[in-house]
Amino acid sequence: MRLSSLGYLIKEGFRNIKQNAFMAVASILVLVSCLLLSGSAYLVFVNIESAFDYVYSQNVAVVFAAETADEAAVAALGEQIRALSNVSDVELISKEDTLTRYEGVIPEATFEQLQGTNNPFLDSYKVTFIDLDDAVFKSTIQSIKDMPNVDDVSYNGDIAATLAHLRSVVMLIGGVVIIVLLFVSLFIISNTIKLTVYSRRLEIGIMKSVGATKAFIRLPFMWEGMVLGFAAGLLSYGIMHLIYTRLMAMPALGFISFTSLSVTGLSTVMPVWAELLVGFLVIGVLTGMLGSGLSMGRYLKEESGVSSD
Amino acid sequence: MIEFRGVHKTYANGTKALRDVNINIEKGEFVFIVGASGAGKSTFLKLIMHEEVPTAGEVIVNGYKLSKLKRREIPYLRRTMGIVFQDFRLINTMTVFDNVAFAMRVTGASKREVRKRVPYILGLVGLENKARSYPMELSGGEQQRVSLARALVNNPALIIADEPTGNIDPELSYEIMELLTEINRRGTTVLVVTHEHDLVSHFHRRVIVIEDGTVVSDVPQEQPAVPVSEPANDVVADVLDTIQSAPKGSPADAVIDDIVNGGDAQ
Ligand SMILES: Nc1ncnc2c1ncn2[C@@H]1O[C@H](COP(=O)(O)OP(=O)(O)O)[C@@H](O)[C@H]1O
Ligand SMILES: [Mg+2]
Repeated sequence: MRLSSLGYLIKEGFRNIKQNAFMAVASILVLVSCLLLSGSAYLVFVNIESAFDYVYSQNVAVVFAAETADEAAVAALGEQIRALSNVSDVELISKEDTLTRYEGVIPEATFEQLQGTNNPFLDSYKVTFIDLDDAVFKSTIQSIKDMPNVDDVSYNGDIAATLAHLRSVVMLIGGVVIIVLLFVSLFIISNTIKLTVYSRRLEIGIMKSVGATKAFIRLPFMWEGMVLGFAAGLLSYGIMHLIYTRLMAMPALGFISFTSLSVTGLSTVMPVWAELLVGFLVIGVLTGMLGSGLSMGRYLKEESGVSSD
Repeated sequence: MIEFRGVHKTYANGTKALRDVNINIEKGEFVFIVGASGAGKSTFLKLIMHEEVPTAGEVIVNGYKLSKLKRREIPYLRRTMGIVFQDFRLINTMTVFDNVAFAMRVTGASKREVRKRVPYILGLVGLENKARSYPMELSGGEQQRVSLARALVNNPALIIADEPTGNIDPELSYEIMELLTEINRRGTTVLVVTHEHDLVSHFHRRVIVIEDGTVVSDVPQEQPAVPVSEPANDVVADVLDTIQSAPKGSPADAVIDDIVNGGDAQ
Protein backbone atom coordinates (compact mmCIF):
# COMPACT_ATOMS: atom_id res chain seq x y z
CA MET A 1 0.00 0.00 0.00
CA ARG A 2 1.23 3.42 -0.92
CA LEU A 3 2.20 5.89 1.77
CA SER A 4 -0.22 8.47 0.37
CA SER A 5 -3.01 5.89 0.62
CA LEU A 6 -2.11 5.17 4.24
CA GLY A 7 -2.17 8.86 5.04
CA TYR A 8 -5.53 9.14 3.34
CA LEU A 9 -6.93 6.15 5.25
CA ILE A 10 -5.80 7.57 8.57
CA LYS A 11 -7.42 10.88 7.71
CA GLU A 12 -10.57 8.99 6.74
CA GLY A 13 -10.55 7.24 10.11
CA PHE A 14 -10.44 10.57 11.93
CA ARG A 15 -13.15 11.98 9.68
CA ASN A 16 -15.31 8.97 10.53
CA ILE A 17 -14.86 9.60 14.23
CA LYS A 18 -15.87 13.24 13.83
CA GLN A 19 -18.76 12.33 11.57
CA ASN A 20 -20.03 9.76 14.03
CA ALA A 21 -19.20 11.58 17.25
CA PHE A 22 -22.14 10.02 19.06
CA MET A 23 -21.08 6.48 18.22
CA ALA A 24 -17.49 7.31 19.06
CA VAL A 25 -18.50 8.57 22.50
CA ALA A 26 -20.73 5.53 23.03
CA SER A 27 -17.92 3.15 22.11
CA ILE A 28 -15.48 4.92 24.39
CA LEU A 29 -17.91 4.88 27.31
CA VAL A 30 -18.63 1.18 26.88
CA LEU A 31 -14.95 0.38 26.70
CA VAL A 32 -14.17 2.63 29.68
CA SER A 33 -16.79 0.88 31.83
CA CYS A 34 -15.44 -2.52 30.94
CA LEU A 35 -11.86 -1.46 31.51
CA LEU A 36 -12.77 0.09 34.86
CA LEU A 37 -14.50 -3.10 35.97
CA SER A 38 -11.58 -5.26 34.86
CA GLY A 39 -9.15 -2.77 36.35
CA SER A 40 -10.96 -2.75 39.70
CA ALA A 41 -10.97 -6.52 39.73
CA TYR A 42 -7.28 -6.40 38.99
CA LEU A 43 -6.52 -3.87 41.73
CA VAL A 44 -8.53 -5.80 44.30
CA PHE A 45 -6.63 -8.87 43.22
CA VAL A 46 -3.27 -7.11 43.50
CA ASN A 47 -4.19 -5.79 46.94
CA ILE A 48 -5.15 -9.20 48.22
CA GLU A 49 -1.99 -10.63 46.69
CA SER A 50 0.20 -8.09 48.39
CA ALA A 51 -1.63 -8.68 51.66
CA PHE A 52 -0.78 -12.33 51.25
CA ASP A 53 2.79 -11.50 50.46
CA TYR A 54 2.99 -9.56 53.69
CA VAL A 55 1.50 -12.34 55.76
CA TYR A 56 3.69 -14.86 53.99
CA SER A 57 6.78 -12.90 54.79
CA GLN A 58 5.78 -12.99 58.45
CA ASN A 59 5.18 -16.67 58.36
CA VAL A 60 8.43 -18.17 59.51
CA ALA A 61 9.48 -21.28 61.25
CA VAL A 62 12.12 -21.17 63.96
CA VAL A 63 14.63 -23.99 63.94
CA PHE A 64 16.42 -24.58 67.22
CA ALA A 65 19.90 -26.08 67.12
CA ALA A 66 20.70 -28.88 69.56
CA GLU A 67 22.35 -27.76 72.80
CA THR A 68 25.34 -29.99 72.04
CA ALA A 69 26.09 -28.39 68.67
CA ASP A 70 29.24 -26.29 68.53
CA GLU A 71 29.63 -23.15 66.49
CA ALA A 72 30.77 -24.99 63.35
CA ALA A 73 27.87 -27.47 63.56
CA VAL A 74 25.37 -24.62 63.89
CA ALA A 75 26.86 -22.89 60.84
CA ALA A 76 26.69 -26.18 58.90
CA LEU A 77 23.01 -26.55 59.85
CA GLY A 78 22.32 -23.07 58.52
CA GLU A 79 23.89 -23.94 55.18
CA GLN A 80 21.93 -27.15 55.00
CA ILE A 81 18.61 -25.36 55.56
CA ARG A 82 19.50 -22.65 53.07
CA ALA A 83 20.15 -25.35 50.46
CA LEU A 84 16.50 -26.51 50.56
CA SER A 85 14.63 -25.45 47.45
CA ASN A 86 11.51 -24.26 49.31
CA VAL A 87 13.47 -21.96 51.63
CA SER A 88 13.75 -18.35 50.63
CA ASP A 89 15.59 -16.92 53.60
CA VAL A 90 17.55 -18.12 56.60
CA GLU A 91 18.55 -15.82 59.43
CA LEU A 92 20.74 -16.85 62.34
CA ILE A 93 19.61 -15.78 65.77
CA SER A 94 22.36 -16.83 68.12
CA LYS A 95 21.65 -17.52 71.77
CA GLU A 96 23.59 -14.34 72.58
CA ASP A 97 21.22 -12.37 70.35
CA THR A 98 18.26 -13.91 72.14
CA LEU A 99 19.71 -13.10 75.49
CA THR A 100 20.40 -9.51 74.47
CA ARG A 101 16.67 -9.04 73.92
CA TYR A 102 16.19 -9.50 77.64
CA GLU A 103 18.65 -6.83 78.60
CA GLY A 104 16.80 -4.39 80.81
CA VAL A 105 13.86 -6.74 81.07
CA ILE A 106 15.34 -9.02 83.62
CA PRO A 107 17.33 -7.78 86.63
CA GLU A 108 20.79 -6.55 85.76
CA ALA A 109 22.50 -9.05 88.05
CA THR A 110 20.64 -12.03 86.59
CA PHE A 111 21.43 -10.80 83.09
CA GLU A 112 25.14 -10.70 83.93
CA GLN A 113 24.95 -14.17 85.43
CA LEU A 114 23.47 -15.64 82.28
CA GLN A 115 26.34 -14.53 80.03
CA GLY A 116 28.67 -17.04 78.41
CA THR A 117 28.27 -20.73 79.14
CA ASN A 118 25.33 -20.05 81.43
CA ASN A 119 23.20 -18.84 78.53
CA PRO A 120 19.95 -20.81 78.80
CA PHE A 121 18.89 -20.24 75.19
CA LEU A 122 19.56 -22.25 72.06
CA ASP A 123 21.04 -21.01 68.81
CA SER A 124 18.20 -20.75 66.28
CA TYR A 125 17.41 -19.98 62.66
CA LYS A 126 14.48 -17.91 61.42
CA VAL A 127 13.46 -19.62 58.18
CA THR A 128 11.16 -18.08 55.52
CA PHE A 129 9.50 -20.30 52.93
CA ILE A 130 8.59 -19.91 49.28
CA ASP A 131 5.64 -22.28 49.01
CA LEU A 132 3.25 -22.64 51.92
CA ASP A 133 1.08 -25.22 50.23
CA ASP A 134 0.26 -27.80 52.90
CA ALA A 135 2.06 -30.87 51.52
CA VAL A 136 5.13 -28.98 50.34
CA PHE A 137 5.40 -26.99 53.55
CA LYS A 138 5.09 -30.07 55.77
CA SER A 139 7.69 -32.02 53.81
CA THR A 140 10.09 -29.08 54.08
CA ILE A 141 9.56 -28.94 57.84
CA GLN A 142 10.07 -32.68 58.04
CA SER A 143 13.36 -32.57 56.15
CA ILE A 144 14.59 -29.86 58.51
CA LYS A 145 13.57 -31.95 61.52
CA ASP A 146 15.54 -34.88 60.06
CA MET A 147 18.75 -32.86 59.91
CA PRO A 148 21.47 -33.56 62.49
CA ASN A 149 21.83 -31.11 65.36
CA VAL A 150 18.19 -30.01 65.23
CA ASP A 151 16.54 -29.76 68.59
CA ASP A 152 13.08 -28.69 67.48
CA VAL A 153 11.18 -26.75 64.81
CA SER A 154 8.51 -24.30 65.84
CA TYR A 155 5.92 -23.30 63.20
CA ASN A 156 2.24 -22.75 62.59
CA GLY A 157 1.20 -25.28 59.98
CA ASP A 158 -2.52 -24.50 59.90
CA ILE A 159 -2.14 -20.81 59.10
CA ALA A 160 0.27 -21.67 56.34
CA ALA A 161 -2.14 -24.14 54.75
CA THR A 162 -5.15 -21.82 55.01
CA LEU A 163 -3.23 -18.94 53.46
CA ALA A 164 -2.00 -21.03 50.58
CA HIS A 165 -5.53 -22.25 49.89
CA LEU A 166 -7.08 -18.77 50.08
CA ARG A 167 -4.48 -17.43 47.73
CA SER A 168 -5.22 -19.96 45.03
CA VAL A 169 -8.98 -19.32 45.38
CA VAL A 170 -8.46 -15.56 45.03
CA MET A 171 -6.22 -16.08 42.03
CA LEU A 172 -8.82 -18.24 40.33
CA ILE A 173 -11.75 -15.90 41.00
CA GLY A 174 -9.74 -12.84 39.99
CA GLY A 175 -8.60 -14.47 36.78
CA VAL A 176 -12.08 -15.63 35.83
CA VAL A 177 -13.64 -12.22 36.58
CA ILE A 178 -11.08 -10.41 34.46
CA ILE A 179 -11.39 -12.81 31.54
CA VAL A 180 -15.20 -12.68 31.60
CA LEU A 181 -15.14 -8.88 31.70
CA LEU A 182 -12.78 -8.74 28.75
CA PHE A 183 -15.04 -10.99 26.69
CA VAL A 184 -18.03 -8.86 27.64
CA SER A 185 -16.21 -5.73 26.48
CA LEU A 186 -15.16 -7.35 23.22
CA PHE A 187 -18.78 -8.34 22.62
CA ILE A 188 -20.21 -4.92 23.45
CA ILE A 189 -17.54 -3.11 21.46
CA SER A 190 -18.06 -5.26 18.42
CA ASN A 191 -21.79 -4.60 18.62
CA THR A 192 -21.32 -0.87 19.01
CA ILE A 193 -19.05 -0.87 16.00
CA LYS A 194 -21.49 -3.04 14.08
CA LEU A 195 -23.94 -0.19 14.55
CA THR A 196 -21.50 2.35 13.18
CA VAL A 197 -20.71 0.05 10.29
CA TYR A 198 -24.42 -0.41 9.67
CA SER A 199 -24.95 3.34 9.65
CA ARG A 200 -22.22 3.61 7.07
CA ARG A 201 -23.19 0.75 4.79
CA LEU A 202 -24.00 3.22 2.03
CA GLU A 203 -20.45 4.48 2.15
CA ILE A 204 -19.11 0.94 2.17
CA GLY A 205 -21.34 0.04 -0.80
CA ILE A 206 -20.01 3.04 -2.72
CA MET A 207 -16.46 2.04 -1.90
CA LYS A 208 -17.13 -1.45 -3.23
CA SER A 209 -18.78 -0.12 -6.37
CA VAL A 210 -15.70 1.90 -7.24
CA GLY A 211 -13.44 -1.09 -6.70
CA ALA A 212 -12.10 -0.69 -3.17
CA THR A 213 -10.37 -3.78 -1.79
CA LYS A 214 -11.43 -5.30 1.53
CA ALA A 215 -8.32 -4.03 3.24
CA PHE A 216 -8.89 -0.51 1.99
CA ILE A 217 -12.45 -0.49 3.31
CA ARG A 218 -11.51 -2.07 6.60
CA LEU A 219 -8.46 0.01 7.45
CA PRO A 220 -10.16 3.30 8.35
CA PHE A 221 -12.54 1.41 10.60
CA MET A 222 -9.73 -0.46 12.32
CA TRP A 223 -7.74 2.73 12.72
CA GLU A 224 -10.84 4.36 14.15
CA GLY A 225 -11.23 1.45 16.58
CA MET A 226 -7.60 1.78 17.63
CA VAL A 227 -7.91 5.52 18.27
CA LEU A 228 -11.10 5.04 20.28
CA GLY A 229 -9.52 2.16 22.19
CA PHE A 230 -6.46 4.24 23.01
CA ALA A 231 -8.62 7.12 24.22
CA ALA A 232 -10.69 4.73 26.33
CA GLY A 233 -7.51 3.24 27.82
CA LEU A 234 -6.14 6.63 28.84
CA LEU A 235 -9.47 7.78 30.22
CA SER A 236 -9.93 4.58 32.23
CA TYR A 237 -6.47 4.92 33.68
CA GLY A 238 -7.14 8.50 34.76
CA ILE A 239 -10.47 7.63 36.34
CA MET A 240 -9.07 4.54 38.04
CA HIS A 241 -6.15 6.44 39.52
CA LEU A 242 -8.39 9.24 40.74
CA ILE A 243 -10.89 6.89 42.39
CA TYR A 244 -8.21 4.72 43.97
CA THR A 245 -6.23 7.56 45.49
CA ARG A 246 -9.44 9.18 46.77
CA LEU A 247 -10.52 5.89 48.36
CA MET A 248 -7.15 5.33 49.99
CA ALA A 249 -7.22 8.83 51.42
CA MET A 250 -10.44 8.05 53.31
CA PRO A 251 -9.63 7.38 56.98
CA ALA A 252 -12.24 4.63 57.18
CA LEU A 253 -10.35 2.72 54.54
CA GLY A 254 -6.96 3.21 56.11
CA PHE A 255 -6.76 -0.43 57.08
CA ILE A 256 -6.81 -1.42 53.42
CA SER A 257 -3.78 0.61 52.61
CA PHE A 258 -2.08 -0.87 55.67
CA THR A 259 -2.35 -4.42 54.48
CA SER A 260 -2.05 -3.62 50.83
CA LEU A 261 -0.01 -1.57 48.46
CA SER A 262 1.53 0.73 51.01
CA VAL A 263 2.93 -2.18 52.98
CA THR A 264 5.08 -3.45 50.19
CA GLY A 265 6.22 0.06 49.51
CA LEU A 266 6.65 2.23 46.46
CA SER A 267 8.65 -0.37 44.58
CA THR A 268 5.48 -2.42 44.12
CA VAL A 269 3.03 0.44 43.80
CA MET A 270 4.71 1.97 40.78
CA PRO A 271 4.83 -1.18 38.62
CA VAL A 272 1.19 -1.92 39.42
CA TRP A 273 0.07 1.43 38.02
CA ALA A 274 2.41 1.16 35.06
CA GLU A 275 1.07 -2.33 34.44
CA LEU A 276 -2.47 -1.02 34.62
CA LEU A 277 -1.74 1.81 32.16
CA VAL A 278 -0.03 -0.45 29.67
CA GLY A 279 -2.75 -3.08 30.14
CA PHE A 280 -5.55 -0.55 29.57
CA LEU A 281 -3.90 0.86 26.46
CA VAL A 282 -3.07 -2.52 24.97
CA ILE A 283 -6.48 -3.99 25.73
CA GLY A 284 -8.24 -0.82 24.55
CA VAL A 285 -6.36 -0.66 21.27
CA LEU A 286 -6.69 -4.39 20.59
CA THR A 287 -10.39 -4.51 21.47
CA GLY A 288 -11.08 -1.45 19.33
CA MET A 289 -9.12 -2.79 16.40
CA LEU A 290 -10.41 -6.37 16.54
CA GLY A 291 -13.92 -5.24 17.42
CA SER A 292 -14.17 -3.12 14.31
CA GLY A 293 -12.19 -5.42 12.05
CA LEU A 294 -14.26 -8.46 12.96
CA SER A 295 -17.66 -6.83 13.11
CA MET A 296 -17.56 -5.66 9.51
CA GLY A 297 -18.11 -9.23 8.34
CA ARG A 298 -20.98 -9.33 5.93
CA TYR A 299 -20.71 -5.73 4.82
CA LEU A 300 -17.30 -6.53 3.45
CA LYS A 301 -18.33 -9.47 1.29
CA GLU A 302 -17.28 -8.49 -2.22
CA GLU A 303 -20.44 -9.71 -3.90
CA SER A 304 -23.03 -7.96 -1.78
CA GLY A 305 -24.25 -4.52 -0.95
CA VAL A 306 -22.92 -2.65 -3.97
CA SER A 307 -26.12 -1.23 -5.36
CA SER A 308 -28.44 -1.87 -2.43
CA ASP A 309 -28.18 -1.99 1.34
CA MET B 1 -17.08 -6.51 -24.09
CA ILE B 2 -20.13 -8.02 -22.38
CA GLU B 3 -21.42 -11.48 -23.15
CA PHE B 4 -24.27 -13.41 -21.55
CA ARG B 5 -24.41 -17.10 -22.48
CA GLY B 6 -27.51 -18.97 -21.44
CA VAL B 7 -27.73 -17.00 -18.19
CA HIS B 8 -30.35 -17.87 -15.60
CA LYS B 9 -30.73 -16.14 -12.27
CA THR B 10 -32.99 -17.50 -9.58
CA TYR B 11 -32.86 -15.74 -6.20
CA ALA B 12 -32.70 -17.68 -2.96
CA ASN B 13 -36.44 -17.12 -2.40
CA GLY B 14 -37.22 -18.83 -5.71
CA THR B 15 -37.86 -15.70 -7.81
CA LYS B 16 -36.74 -16.38 -11.35
CA ALA B 17 -35.32 -12.96 -12.25
CA LEU B 18 -33.63 -13.95 -15.53
CA ARG B 19 -34.23 -16.92 -17.83
CA ASP B 20 -31.85 -18.01 -20.59
CA VAL B 21 -30.44 -14.62 -21.47
CA ASN B 22 -28.06 -14.55 -24.44
CA ILE B 23 -26.67 -11.11 -25.21
CA ASN B 24 -23.55 -9.77 -26.83
CA ILE B 25 -22.57 -6.12 -26.40
CA GLU B 26 -19.55 -4.88 -28.30
CA LYS B 27 -16.99 -2.36 -27.16
CA GLY B 28 -18.16 1.18 -27.89
CA GLU B 29 -21.88 0.39 -28.05
CA PHE B 30 -24.61 2.45 -26.38
CA VAL B 31 -27.41 0.20 -25.19
CA PHE B 32 -30.75 0.96 -23.57
CA ILE B 33 -32.28 -1.75 -21.45
CA VAL B 34 -35.99 -1.28 -20.97
CA GLY B 35 -38.76 -3.25 -19.36
CA ALA B 36 -41.44 -3.05 -16.69
CA SER B 37 -40.58 -2.83 -13.03
CA GLY B 38 -39.53 -6.24 -11.77
CA ALA B 39 -38.65 -7.49 -15.26
CA GLY B 40 -35.06 -8.26 -14.25
CA LYS B 41 -33.17 -5.20 -15.55
CA SER B 42 -31.31 -4.49 -12.32
CA THR B 43 -30.51 -8.16 -11.95
CA PHE B 44 -28.97 -8.02 -15.44
CA LEU B 45 -26.71 -5.15 -14.33
CA LYS B 46 -25.88 -6.79 -10.99
CA LEU B 47 -24.60 -9.85 -12.82
CA ILE B 48 -22.28 -7.56 -14.80
CA MET B 49 -21.00 -5.86 -11.63
CA HIS B 50 -20.65 -9.30 -10.06
CA GLU B 51 -22.85 -8.29 -7.19
CA GLU B 52 -24.91 -11.37 -7.96
CA VAL B 53 -23.76 -14.60 -9.60
CA PRO B 54 -25.76 -16.49 -12.24
CA THR B 55 -27.55 -19.68 -11.26
CA ALA B 56 -26.60 -21.07 -14.67
CA GLY B 57 -24.72 -19.82 -17.72
CA GLU B 58 -21.68 -17.62 -18.13
CA VAL B 59 -21.15 -13.86 -17.98
CA ILE B 60 -18.02 -12.36 -19.54
CA VAL B 61 -17.19 -8.69 -18.86
CA ASN B 62 -14.18 -6.71 -20.06
CA GLY B 63 -12.36 -9.97 -20.67
CA TYR B 64 -13.14 -11.35 -17.18
CA LYS B 65 -14.94 -14.69 -17.24
CA LEU B 66 -16.92 -14.02 -14.08
CA SER B 67 -17.38 -17.64 -13.04
CA LYS B 68 -13.57 -17.95 -12.92
CA LEU B 69 -13.08 -14.68 -11.06
CA LYS B 70 -11.46 -14.96 -7.64
CA ARG B 71 -12.96 -12.92 -4.83
CA ARG B 72 -9.93 -10.71 -4.46
CA GLU B 73 -10.12 -9.90 -8.18
CA ILE B 74 -13.62 -8.47 -7.91
CA PRO B 75 -12.44 -4.95 -6.92
CA TYR B 76 -10.22 -4.88 -9.99
CA LEU B 77 -13.10 -5.90 -12.25
CA ARG B 78 -15.15 -3.05 -10.77
CA ARG B 79 -12.39 -0.57 -11.53
CA THR B 80 -12.93 -1.24 -15.21
CA MET B 81 -16.52 -0.01 -14.94
CA GLY B 82 -18.21 3.15 -13.75
CA ILE B 83 -21.54 2.67 -12.02
CA VAL B 84 -24.29 5.30 -11.83
CA PHE B 85 -27.26 4.74 -9.54
CA GLN B 86 -30.77 6.09 -9.57
CA ASP B 87 -30.35 7.50 -6.05
CA PHE B 88 -26.92 9.03 -6.88
CA ARG B 89 -25.28 7.39 -3.86
CA LEU B 90 -23.18 10.39 -2.91
CA ILE B 91 -21.62 10.77 0.50
CA ASN B 92 -23.38 13.77 1.99
CA THR B 93 -20.60 14.60 4.43
CA MET B 94 -18.05 14.94 1.64
CA THR B 95 -17.71 17.81 -0.82
CA VAL B 96 -18.38 17.27 -4.51
CA PHE B 97 -14.61 17.20 -5.05
CA ASP B 98 -14.07 14.53 -2.40
CA ASN B 99 -16.96 12.43 -3.63
CA VAL B 100 -15.28 12.21 -7.00
CA ALA B 101 -11.73 12.00 -5.64
CA PHE B 102 -12.85 9.15 -3.40
CA ALA B 103 -13.16 6.79 -6.37
CA MET B 104 -9.58 7.59 -7.37
CA ARG B 105 -8.14 7.26 -3.88
CA VAL B 106 -9.70 3.83 -3.61
CA THR B 107 -7.49 2.72 -6.48
CA GLY B 108 -4.40 4.09 -4.74
CA ALA B 109 -4.03 7.18 -6.92
CA SER B 110 -1.52 9.75 -5.70
CA LYS B 111 -2.52 13.17 -4.37
CA ARG B 112 -1.03 14.76 -7.44
CA GLU B 113 -3.06 12.63 -9.82
CA VAL B 114 -6.23 13.34 -7.84
CA ARG B 115 -5.64 17.10 -7.80
CA LYS B 116 -5.08 17.09 -11.53
CA ARG B 117 -7.81 14.80 -12.67
CA VAL B 118 -10.82 15.59 -10.50
CA PRO B 119 -11.17 19.23 -11.62
CA TYR B 120 -11.06 18.11 -15.26
CA ILE B 121 -13.71 15.50 -14.76
CA LEU B 122 -15.86 18.03 -12.89
CA GLY B 123 -15.35 20.36 -15.82
CA LEU B 124 -16.45 17.59 -18.13
CA VAL B 125 -19.83 17.33 -16.39
CA GLY B 126 -20.11 21.10 -15.99
CA LEU B 127 -19.61 21.27 -12.25
CA GLU B 128 -16.22 22.99 -11.97
CA ASN B 129 -17.80 25.72 -9.83
CA LYS B 130 -19.40 23.29 -7.40
CA ALA B 131 -16.27 21.47 -6.28
CA ARG B 132 -16.54 22.85 -2.73
CA SER B 133 -20.30 22.33 -2.43
CA TYR B 134 -21.94 19.49 -0.57
CA PRO B 135 -24.38 17.15 -2.36
CA MET B 136 -27.37 18.48 -0.41
CA GLU B 137 -26.73 21.96 -1.79
CA LEU B 138 -27.16 20.69 -5.36
CA SER B 139 -30.19 19.97 -7.54
CA GLY B 140 -31.02 16.38 -8.47
CA GLY B 141 -29.57 16.84 -11.93
CA GLU B 142 -26.36 18.24 -10.50
CA GLN B 143 -26.10 15.42 -8.01
CA GLN B 144 -26.45 12.90 -10.78
CA ARG B 145 -23.69 14.68 -12.70
CA VAL B 146 -21.44 14.33 -9.64
CA SER B 147 -22.25 10.65 -9.58
CA LEU B 148 -21.45 10.47 -13.29
CA ALA B 149 -18.16 12.27 -12.69
CA ARG B 150 -17.31 9.72 -10.03
CA ALA B 151 -18.10 6.88 -12.45
CA LEU B 152 -15.89 8.47 -15.08
CA VAL B 153 -12.92 9.50 -13.01
CA ASN B 154 -11.04 6.20 -13.31
CA ASN B 155 -11.49 6.21 -17.10
CA PRO B 156 -13.57 3.00 -17.20
CA ALA B 157 -14.14 1.05 -20.39
CA LEU B 158 -17.78 0.61 -19.42
CA ILE B 159 -20.43 2.81 -17.83
CA ILE B 160 -23.44 1.14 -16.22
CA ALA B 161 -26.37 3.34 -15.27
CA ASP B 162 -29.45 1.93 -13.50
CA GLU B 163 -32.29 4.38 -14.11
CA PRO B 164 -29.97 7.38 -13.87
CA THR B 165 -32.79 9.79 -14.64
CA GLY B 166 -35.35 8.17 -12.37
CA ASN B 167 -34.97 10.74 -9.60
CA ILE B 168 -34.52 13.94 -11.58
CA ASP B 169 -36.68 16.32 -13.56
CA PRO B 170 -37.48 15.17 -17.11
CA GLU B 171 -35.80 18.20 -18.75
CA LEU B 172 -32.62 17.42 -16.86
CA SER B 173 -32.82 13.78 -17.96
CA TYR B 174 -31.83 14.84 -21.46
CA GLU B 175 -28.82 16.64 -20.07
CA ILE B 176 -27.60 13.45 -18.38
CA MET B 177 -28.34 11.36 -21.48
CA GLU B 178 -26.42 13.78 -23.64
CA LEU B 179 -23.44 13.52 -21.34
CA LEU B 180 -23.64 9.74 -21.56
CA THR B 181 -23.88 10.01 -25.34
CA GLU B 182 -20.78 12.17 -25.43
CA ILE B 183 -18.90 9.77 -23.18
CA ASN B 184 -19.91 6.98 -25.52
CA ARG B 185 -18.83 8.96 -28.56
CA ARG B 186 -15.33 8.91 -27.16
CA GLY B 187 -15.25 5.14 -26.99
CA THR B 188 -16.73 4.15 -23.65
CA THR B 189 -19.36 1.41 -23.75
CA VAL B 190 -22.56 2.65 -22.10
CA LEU B 191 -25.42 0.60 -20.67
CA VAL B 192 -28.49 2.51 -19.52
CA VAL B 193 -31.51 1.00 -17.82
CA THR B 194 -34.54 3.21 -18.11
CA HIS B 195 -38.27 3.11 -18.55
CA GLU B 196 -38.57 6.59 -19.94
CA HIS B 197 -39.73 5.81 -23.47
CA ASP B 198 -39.30 9.41 -24.60
CA LEU B 199 -35.59 9.18 -23.93
CA VAL B 200 -35.24 5.85 -25.66
CA SER B 201 -37.02 7.00 -28.79
CA HIS B 202 -35.19 10.32 -28.82
CA PHE B 203 -31.70 8.84 -28.83
CA HIS B 204 -32.06 6.09 -31.44
CA ARG B 205 -29.77 3.53 -29.88
CA ARG B 206 -29.76 -0.23 -29.52
CA VAL B 207 -32.68 -1.23 -27.29
CA ILE B 208 -32.91 -4.50 -25.38
CA VAL B 209 -36.35 -5.20 -23.96
CA ILE B 210 -36.63 -7.51 -20.97
CA GLU B 211 -39.99 -8.91 -19.92
CA ASP B 212 -40.44 -11.24 -17.01
CA GLY B 213 -36.77 -12.22 -17.03
CA THR B 214 -36.55 -12.93 -20.73
CA VAL B 215 -35.09 -10.81 -23.53
CA VAL B 216 -38.12 -10.34 -25.79
CA SER B 217 -36.60 -7.90 -28.26
CA ASP B 218 -33.17 -6.61 -29.16
CA VAL B 219 -33.36 -3.81 -31.72
CA PRO B 220 -30.05 -2.56 -33.08
CA GLN B 221 -29.23 1.12 -33.37
CA GLU B 222 -31.42 2.70 -36.03
CA GLN B 223 -28.81 4.99 -37.48
CA PRO B 224 -25.16 5.83 -37.04
CA ALA B 225 -24.36 7.76 -33.90
CA VAL B 226 -24.85 11.45 -34.53
CA PRO B 227 -23.06 14.13 -32.60
CA VAL B 228 -25.45 15.85 -30.26
CA SER B 229 -27.01 18.65 -32.20
CA GLU B 230 -29.21 20.37 -29.67
CA PRO B 231 -27.62 20.62 -26.27
CA ALA B 232 -30.28 20.81 -23.60
CA ASN B 233 -28.81 23.88 -21.96
CA ASP B 234 -25.80 26.16 -21.81
CA VAL B 235 -23.81 24.02 -19.43
CA VAL B 236 -23.97 21.03 -21.70
CA ALA B 237 -23.24 23.20 -24.72
CA ASP B 238 -20.11 24.51 -23.00
CA VAL B 239 -18.98 21.06 -22.06
CA LEU B 240 -19.56 19.76 -25.53
CA ASP B 241 -17.59 22.65 -26.95
CA THR B 242 -14.66 21.67 -24.79
CA ILE B 243 -14.97 18.07 -25.79
CA GLN B 244 -15.36 18.75 -29.47
CA SER B 245 -12.25 20.89 -29.56
CA ALA B 246 -10.21 17.80 -28.71
CA PRO B 247 -8.03 16.46 -31.52
CA LYS B 248 -10.16 14.47 -33.94
CA GLY B 249 -9.28 10.99 -35.01
CA SER B 250 -7.31 10.01 -31.91
CA PRO B 251 -8.45 6.88 -30.08
CA ALA B 252 -11.24 7.53 -27.62
CA ASP B 253 -9.19 6.75 -24.52
CA ALA B 254 -6.45 9.06 -25.68
CA VAL B 255 -8.98 11.84 -26.20
CA ILE B 256 -10.45 11.43 -22.76
CA ASP B 257 -6.99 11.36 -21.25
CA ASP B 258 -6.20 14.45 -23.17
CA ILE B 259 -9.23 16.28 -21.89
CA VAL B 260 -8.91 15.00 -18.41
CA ASN B 261 -5.20 15.60 -17.99
CA GLY B 262 -5.33 19.06 -19.46
CA GLY B 263 -3.78 18.21 -22.76
CA ASP B 264 -0.42 16.90 -21.56
CA ALA B 265 -1.00 13.20 -22.10
CA GLN B 266 1.78 11.33 -23.88
N1 LIG C 1 -32.18 -9.95 -3.72
C1 LIG C 1 -33.34 -10.43 -4.22
N2 LIG C 1 -33.92 -11.49 -3.64
C2 LIG C 1 -35.07 -11.99 -4.12
N3 LIG C 1 -35.72 -11.49 -5.18
C3 LIG C 1 -35.18 -10.43 -5.79
C4 LIG C 1 -33.96 -9.85 -5.35
N4 LIG C 1 -33.67 -8.81 -6.16
C5 LIG C 1 -34.66 -8.76 -7.07
N5 LIG C 1 -35.58 -9.73 -6.86
C6 LIG C 1 -36.75 -10.02 -7.66
O1 LIG C 1 -36.32 -10.33 -8.96
C7 LIG C 1 -37.17 -9.77 -9.93
C8 LIG C 1 -36.38 -8.84 -10.84
O2 LIG C 1 -35.93 -7.74 -10.08
P1 LIG C 1 -35.06 -6.57 -10.69
O3 LIG C 1 -33.94 -7.18 -11.44
O4 LIG C 1 -34.74 -5.64 -9.60
O5 LIG C 1 -36.09 -5.90 -11.70
P2 LIG C 1 -36.12 -4.46 -12.35
O6 LIG C 1 -34.82 -3.79 -12.10
O7 LIG C 1 -36.38 -4.72 -13.78
O8 LIG C 1 -37.24 -3.72 -11.71
C9 LIG C 1 -38.26 -9.05 -9.16
O9 LIG C 1 -39.36 -9.93 -9.06
C10 LIG C 1 -37.64 -8.83 -7.81
O10 LIG C 1 -38.64 -8.81 -6.82
MG1 LIG D 1 -34.37 -2.01 -11.08
